[in-house]
Amino acid sequence: MNTQLHKPLQEQISASYGAPCRADGTEPLALTRVTCCICEVEDAQPLAVGEDFEYRTSPDTFLAVQCRGCGLVYLNPRPAPSELDRIYPPDYHAFEFSAERYGFVYKVRRKLEAKRLLSCCKGLGKTARIVDVGCGDGFHLRLLRDYGNPSWQLEGVEPSRLAVNAGLDQGLKIHQGIVQDLVRNLELPAASYDLAFMIATIEHVDDPVAVLAAVRSLLRPGGRVVIVTDNTQTLDFRLFHTRHWGGYHFPRHWNLFNPKNLRLLAQKTDMQVENLTTIVSPVNWVYSIRNLLVDWNAPQWLINQFSLQSTLSLGVFTLFDMLHQWMGHGALMRSTLRRPD
Amino acid sequence: MVSAEMKPVAIVGAGLAGLTAAWTLRQQKIPVVLYEAGKQIAGLAGSFHDPDGFTYDFGAHFVTNRLAAALGVGAHCRDVRYYGESVLLKGRHYSYPFGLMQVPRYVLSGLASRVRKHQPRSAADWFRAQYGHALANEVAIPLTEAWSGVAASDLSPAVGDKLQGGIAQSIVHKIAAQITHRAVTNGYSHEASENPNVWHVYPKGGLGLLCQKLAADVEDVIQLETPVEAILTAENRAVAVRVQGKEQPVSAVISTAPCHVLAKLVQGTDALHPLSRFRYRPMVFVNMRFQGRGLLSDTVVWTPEKDFLFFRLTETALSMPWLAPEGKTLITVDIGCEIGDEIWIMPEETLGELCLQHLEPMIPDGRARYFGCRVLRTPIAYPVFLNDYEDDRLRLTRSTGIAGLHSIGRNGEFAHLLMEDIYWRTTQKMRHLAATLN
Repeated sequence: MNTQLHKPLQEQISASYGAPCRADGTEPLALTRVTCCICEVEDAQPLAVGEDFEYRTSPDTFLAVQCRGCGLVYLNPRPAPSELDRIYPPDYHAFEFSAERYGFVYKVRRKLEAKRLLSCCKGLGKTARIVDVGCGDGFHLRLLRDYGNPSWQLEGVEPSRLAVNAGLDQGLKIHQGIVQDLVRNLELPAASYDLAFMIATIEHVDDPVAVLAAVRSLLRPGGRVVIVTDNTQTLDFRLFHTRHWGGYHFPRHWNLFNPKNLRLLAQKTDMQVENLTTIVSPVNWVYSIRNLLVDWNAPQWLINQFSLQSTLSLGVFTLFDMLHQWMGHGALMRSTLRRPD
Repeated sequence: MVSAEMKPVAIVGAGLAGLTAAWTLRQQKIPVVLYEAGKQIAGLAGSFHDPDGFTYDFGAHFVTNRLAAALGVGAHCRDVRYYGESVLLKGRHYSYPFGLMQVPRYVLSGLASRVRKHQPRSAADWFRAQYGHALANEVAIPLTEAWSGVAASDLSPAVGDKLQGGIAQSIVHKIAAQITHRAVTNGYSHEASENPNVWHVYPKGGLGLLCQKLAADVEDVIQLETPVEAILTAENRAVAVRVQGKEQPVSAVISTAPCHVLAKLVQGTDALHPLSRFRYRPMVFVNMRFQGRGLLSDTVVWTPEKDFLFFRLTETALSMPWLAPEGKTLITVDIGCEIGDEIWIMPEETLGELCLQHLEPMIPDGRARYFGCRVLRTPIAYPVFLNDYEDDRLRLTRSTGIAGLHSIGRNGEFAHLLMEDIYWRTTQKMRHLAATLN
């Protein structure tokens, strides 16, 4: 997170009612109630109350609950779909991820992500068709273009016009919209893709079952989708789950999984789990601490030590999370699901 | 799927529990009708505002940030920055619980009680076993007796069920409150576990906001000034309600009425007869207005000594300054009484005068600061857990004994429930009901 961004925000906040919020976000959001997307009932226990610690887009406070049936953690109530433009402001990091802004960390992340991506592409033919659902400004597509097989056909899907434009400027092929609509309107061809990526996407969507079903319909029989998402079966979640856990990303992460309910999601959409593992990430550790410090009004210099720019904290928590990864509880989950033949 | 012919669920009472029930059932697509005898919704969760800028609630209600978030009204609430309790003994204030723990007598007798193990048979036994004889006899038992109006030896040990969390939780929450400048809850929620990130908040315009929010989604089914005259049963099942002389068939009845009232409403069975013995403690709340702030040592001051007319004083403005105009304060004096007794019928100004006399040891210049009071009376402030009907009370916690009849909320469950508990318990129960009806 760019700390420069937050200085004016701190000055703009209004503190009398609700959470602190930016000057253009003082109106409460329209909220909507939901059920567990896997069990389809609302039988959940309250887990956490949080607010938009990072972007201060509204004065609302949000409740994360955990389904008593499958353990899915979800936001309820959550912002109505009509509020997406507010909760993803123009300065949202997925829209503004550039080398200038993130420097050294950006370069390291690029290398690491490229390695991870290519490990998912083993066995793909020269003419493989790959789609990245929720591609943002095309960060992962660029990596596949730069480090992958040049003959691969790469496409992205992204609902944000802003992000799509950034990707198009880079010469990428990105479809604007949500994947279910693009499938329904035949803008994306059915049973045509060999591999789909959903990297840090599934936790953002309103209806993971519908999205995964739509992605499944895009895959050729035997095609695969790789899902990368936050893991709630981790130490960082256990320590910070009552408010500050970075993975909540209030109010933008709507469904948060563990290995058990990610398997249930696969089952519900008739996908075979080929592989489910965890991977190392320092981000939730760093953001959990950052959120706590922000919430407790810690001095700015201390808050600044915990950001995506802070090489030290990212490094320390990468090592720390490697230990957890070794025990099978890395901060992120990566699952490869296969559409049956 | 709900069949088109499903008879509605009748809900009796549009307070927090009744509205939560209607709202939850509506979300589950169950048809409901909500009958309210009064002219407006909100029941005990309502707030009153006077022209001088003071706000009064029925007793000091606290809402947690978690309840506000669950209802989607967090943006309309402000944080309560401080909350503290103390106990006044022999003219000296002891903060609760740590101040009391600095009295060696209390600590020693408390430790001794931990060594002995026995099954408590009354609230008095329970307090002595839990806190030791000294603290129980001098503080907990006198307070319980003033609050309930009966001897602690006649009360069930279950009285202790809803008190504060343990010492470790108290310490952690106190520290968290100091760091965050938020009134972290301790003993305010039992359905959902408390943690340092659950604190007290207060909604804009008062507690009625929560009910208004719930009511907004069920407005079309609320029938005001429509008392339910009877709940009709057949073969030990609730089948209809009588309203304005007409029978309305129902698939279930949710009652928030006090238990002794519910016992009278139900016809066609005497299964609820034992509930008619359940007693609620009437209470008079004298809201005294003073010039100045910080007249009490803490937000809540407990006065266990019998010389006092009251057992609890609350200077709400110490926690929620917005409830009184600047430079002024409001002290709520809680007096237990019986309907029709001297206190119950006492005129407002006489009560104010009497309270002033009793407040003199704490606020010597109180008379000069005082400028009037407003009195709220309720005949059903707290359930009294008499040992005499403990078995019946426990039976009620499981079921009313009549199929399709559910008794919910603070009065209906006959339990000392605080607002967040009412919400979680009611939503849970209604979801189960909806599952059975579906």
